[in-house]
Amino acid sequence: MCASVKYNIRGPALIPRMKTKHRIYYITLFSIVLLGLIATGMFQFWPHSIESSSDWSVQKRSIRDVPVVRLPADSPVPERGDLSCRMHTCFDVYRCGFNPKNKIKVYIYSLKKYVDDAGVPVSSTISQEYNELLTAVADSDYYTEDIARACLFIPSIDLLNQNALRVKETAQALAQLSRWDRGTNHLLFNMLPGGPPDYNTALDVPRDRPRRYFLLSSQMALHPEYREELAALQARHGEAVLVLDKCTNLSEGIPAARKRCHKHQVFDYPQVLQEATFCVVLRGARLGQAVLSDVLRAGCIPVIIADSYILPFSEVLDWKRASVAVPEEKMSDVHSILQSIPQRQIEEMQRQARWFWEAYFQSIKAIALATLQIINDRIYPYAAISYEDWNDPPSVKWGSVSNPLFLPLIPPQSQGFTAIVLTYDRVESLFRVITEVSKVPSLSKLLVVWNNQNKNPPEDSLWPKIRVPLKVVRTAENKLSNRFFPYDEIETEAVLAIDDDIIMLTSDELQFGYEVWREFPDRLVGYPGRLHLWDHEMSKWKYESEWTNEVSMVLTGAAFYHKYFNYLYTYKMPGDIKNWVDAHMNCEDIAMNFLVANVTGKAVIKVTPRKKFKCPECTAIDGLSLDQTHMVERSECINKFASVFGTMPLKVVEHRADPVLYKDDFPEKLKSFPNIGSL
Amino acid sequence: MQSWRRKSLWLALLASWLLILLGLFPLLRLAVPTSPRAGAPQGWPRWLDTELLQSFAKPGELLEDGPRPPQALRGGSCNWGACFDTSKCRGGGLKVFVYPAAGPVSETRRRILASVEGSRYHTLSAAEACLLLLLSPDTSTGERDPVPPQWDGGRNHLVLSLHPAPCPRTFQLGQAMVAEASPTVDTFRPGFDVALPLLPEAHPLRGGAPGQLRQHSPRPGVALLALAEDGGRWHVAGTDFSACPWDGRCEQDRGPKQTHPGATLPNATFCLIPGRGPDVLHFLQALQAGCIPVLLSPRWELPFSEVIDWTKAAIVADERLPLQVLTALQEMPLTRVLALRQQTQFLWDAYFSSVEKVIHTTLEIIQDRIFGPSAHPSLLWNSPPGAILALPTFSPSPSDFPFYHLQQGSRPLGRFSALIWGGALGQPPLKLIQAVAGSEHCAQILVLWSSEKPPPTRWPKTAVPLTVIDGHRKVSDRFFPYSAISTDAILSLDAHSSLSTSEVDFAFVVWQSFPERMVGFLTWSHFWDEARGGWGYTAKRTNEFSMVLTSAAFYHRYYHTLFTHALPKALRTLADEAPTCVDVLMNFLVASVTKLPPIKVPYGMWHQEARPPPLEPGGPGLRQEPQPAAQNCINQMAAGFGHMPLVSSRLRLDPVLFKDPVSVLRKKYRSLEKP
Repeated sequence: MCASVKYNIRGPALIPRMKTKHRIYYITLFSIVLLGLIATGMFQFWPHSIESSSDWSVQKRSIRDVPVVRLPADSPVPERGDLSCRMHTCFDVYRCGFNPKNKIKVYIYSLKKYVDDAGVPVSSTISQEYNELLTAVADSDYYTEDIARACLFIPSIDLLNQNALRVKETAQALAQLSRWDRGTNHLLFNMLPGGPPDYNTALDVPRDRPRRYFLLSSQMALHPEYREELAALQARHGEAVLVLDKCTNLSEGIPAARKRCHKHQVFDYPQVLQEATFCVVLRGARLGQAVLSDVLRAGCIPVIIADSYILPFSEVLDWKRASVAVPEEKMSDVHSILQSIPQRQIEEMQRQARWFWEAYFQSIKAIALATLQIINDRIYPYAAISYEDWNDPPSVKWGSVSNPLFLPLIPPQSQGFTAIVLTYDRVESLFRVITEVSKVPSLSKLLVVWNNQNKNPPEDSLWPKIRVPLKVVRTAENKLSNRFFPYDEIETEAVLAIDDDIIMLTSDELQFGYEVWREFPDRLVGYPGRLHLWDHEMSKWKYESEWTNEVSMVLTGAAFYHKYFNYLYTYKMPGDIKNWVDAHMNCEDIAMNFLVANVTGKAVIKVTPRKKFKCPECTAIDGLSLDQTHMVERSECINKFASVFGTMPLKVVEHRADPVLYKDDFPEKLKSFPNIGSL
Repeated sequence: MQSWRRKSLWLALLASWLLILLGLFPLLRLAVPTSPRAGAPQGWPRWLDTELLQSFAKPGELLEDGPRPPQALRGGSCNWGACFDTSKCRGGGLKVFVYPAAGPVSETRRRILASVEGSRYHTLSAAEACLLLLLSPDTSTGERDPVPPQWDGGRNHLVLSLHPAPCPRTFQLGQAMVAEASPTVDTFRPGFDVALPLLPEAHPLRGGAPGQLRQHSPRPGVALLALAEDGGRWHVAGTDFSACPWDGRCEQDRGPKQTHPGATLPNATFCLIPGRGPDVLHFLQALQAGCIPVLLSPRWELPFSEVIDWTKAAIVADERLPLQVLTALQEMPLTRVLALRQQTQFLWDAYFSSVEKVIHTTLEIIQDRIFGPSAHPSLLWNSPPGAILALPTFSPSPSDFPFYHLQQGSRPLGRFSALIWGGALGQPPLKLIQAVAGSEHCAQILVLWSSEKPPPTRWPKTAVPLTVIDGHRKVSDRFFPYSAISTDAILSLDAHSSLSTSEVDFAFVVWQSFPERMVGFLTWSHFWDEARGGWGYTAKRTNEFSMVLTSAAFYHRYYHTLFTHALPKALRTLADEAPTCVDVLMNFLVASVTKLPPIKVPYGMWHQEARPPPLEPGGPGLRQEPQPAAQNCINQMAAGFGHMPLVSSRLRLDPVLFKDPVSVLRKKYRSLEKP
């Protein structure tokens, strides 16, 4: 009823009253104008848009239309690269300048076709892989079209395969690039990523074949010395070691690259790599070996036997987790070295090798982006990606918690704590709380958060006189989150959040709570504990305040915690939880419990036997029905927060903290905290 | 009614217009060309004929590489594989021999020698050693040392030099590795040489001063930035650096400034250290102070860079981008600042605070190279308690250690092994065995039979397997890492211990929340005895405690490995001689690893009344008061550790409903509340 009444009042007020005749007139007029607009749009733009709709973001051109550049034979050749170059000597960081996003800007030279005096092309214009790479760069956040703003330049001259290059002419081509400047800030890609691209389809299917061979060598053109060593290994260890070589007796039409032979037995390559636990990567003509990619892709653990081989992306990737490096001199011991690795570690390495492959080597795009990220990290080290982000596979990242307060220490008692009292207008009760809390020896400051905008706080003279500084902060809005705001006035690490009606806590109880917090500075330390339970019938979480043997939350009506969590609550609370709490005027304490448990992975500490905060005056309104709606609301909060966090971070424990001699048969006056209070 | 119809008409009209407009906009957007400059090069083009492009390499081309003979690298460009002979290290692992000093030695050298000799890798025989350590001659004396006897071209030698100055070497380094303080990046050979920190003259041998950060605070409150000045001093600057030239020296007056004399530690969030400053000492000072080092293009290798991930504790920035660095520091998220500061403290405490730690870290790095695949993973080096205290021989998987469950997202195994030290007792502790075996978490019971008498052939029938391990007399053998211990948790017991099943259950559940700590029932506390000028400890019931008795305590089995393989032998011998000392030693060990107090759980007083009177003095059992002779042990331990690691706690963890006035039926651990 209410709703419809409102509607009736509002509706006509919004739409101006008009006579029917006028209305029709207006409708017609508007329709004509609209039709005209549409028509104009059609005639004006339609033909264009049909033509350009497919390439309105990127141009489409033919590779054959690339402009041709003639390189005179006497054009300058750049100097040789300076081997002693370091980031701070040869790289011009000024070009990168200040950048709020901490991202470098990369420019790609437009594609040209270089020919020499005779008109013979210097190299093939561009290879499929290099085009893919440049496309990946151009699609990334790093790319800029403005050469003046770029800090890194990528020539479009394809240098991927050194064998196919005419070195002098290519160098001349590089030297005439508009910003070459002895190569400063230029990034050249020269690599042998993976094997030829025509045999990847067959590979991705059976991942977990039984690994029949312990050690496998699949490289073909190896130095005889290595081959001898490998043969000796095979002779010593029999079936477990398989050494493959080029096939000599293949019939016509079978690509030699896809087959490997051991004596007369023919194996499919690279499928055979999937059947080995360890695969040898030996030094060849080049240090970098294409076989490494094949090995990684097959989930085989690479055994690197090539001294001074710098593994790809070794600046950030921890190859020790995914490979075994054996010095060339110790090649004959390789079997015993590998044998000493426990099975669990082998599984770990296999997982890691697969993850490296999938994250950084699987595609040209992945390689290009990892390269740029590494350079970006060098230029903006304070925004660099951490070791864990580079190296931990997603399964580890997902389950792991990195406690922001990981350093084990017990803060000194001397600093004390700041009590924050959130109040609205219960001045009398507030003053009692202030008087009580001020008796706690370790209190160093009292902060009253005045959440009532319509009423001024009492005059200074009316406040109780206490021994510590008392500050009143007025808020702009009556919000529950104001209690968890990281006020500049908080100078201590320890914060006691306390409601303006919590007068039942004794001074001993509060002081003991602070002592407990010092021993667990990364946790919420509170008095009454609560529990979350899984309701099997309803298939959802339930809030429980009964006498249970377990706790997973503490009420923040009075709780100690580290100031840092105020910062997290205000600025890093996931999803819309903060607004949700403010809108419902409830559950700010549950939200805080979730936040702390999620970020630290640790349980709360319940202190002393106290079960309830009950003010003597308000027992009357604490009726049963109110209690029940309260429980339903609280349960709803838990379910809501669990869905926002995507998990249930709360940890259940069966202990609470009491003073060492609590309820022991011991003279009361000798106990540090004799007055620990009641339930 | 009519108003209703009118309204719906209006609404329909509005809706249709809206629809038309919505439909039109995308059309308009499509129609208007997005680029004002048609035809200008724009992005990397999508080639129409990509399928015509060829691969950069023909199939088979990569495989047909001509082979190149292996190159052995010698001399100047040595690397680990070519210049170090690991075959000597086979079997016993790393064994280190150090050349004795000839003639008078300086204090620093004496400390280094003592550290090496105290190491678990030290050997007295040069023949069995796989690493020979040579202290680089003091630059000050200028004496010319002869080539050492076992030199052999420097093979398997480590030349230790605590000064970065190019020391006058009277012989060619050959294939020797160099462990040098702050080596320049140009001569440093990664993976072969070891970069050391530059230590101040008075660096302590053992223990060392703790870090300055006493609490997890992101900002110390004094200043954002301190600049390194000559002579180990710091210039604390406010937040306004606009007038400051960025080479670390500031001529102009910039308002309030304070200059610390001598080696005072900086009190700031970030410490700016110029890259080519001769005084690299600043780096360690900043680390100790919890002041995040901001290194401006350092020309020297950061200490232990082979294993320490410095990006977690310091910022290496480009000196050419001052404003950018400044802005980045000012805008750095609180979370990152907090993490960096804590990491400085962890690193300082784990690897740098004493000469011994620096030397042991160096040896640990060499050991890791020898170990190859079974070396410390990066996690063990870069998170507390650090690689010296986390032995990779224990397990290849970090989740087997008690320290990394959070990072690994793992939890300790849900069962425990009870390890009963038989002592000199001739009788099997039947009651105790029944009580422990009654726990649902108990996986097995191990009895360490150490009496002269042979163990009885008949043992009580228990629900869990019971194994008797025989033949050890020494008290320290109770902390041997027996292979029979299959669970993460150990419940260490004496034959005299008296426990109820409830107590065991509750204590184990508590331990699962604190797997790196000891959870015990009976406690001691240590105190500083002014009268005697030393440490003392007492078993009297007090309001705080710092040790739990190992006659009834849960702890992680890793501590057995650490006790047996990492503690100096002298300390273990000490414990064998004064048996109560073994409790002190174990508590010292755990506290020095965790830096936290142990945990006490409730223990029924009725046990103590029912207990037989104490047996022979000093013998194992529920010792009430330490013997006077044993009081001295805590001081010897403190000297052995170089500091007092014990931390006091003022709390006890009780079950949630412990002694609450509610029905006993509601309580899970009822029998804990017997009067």
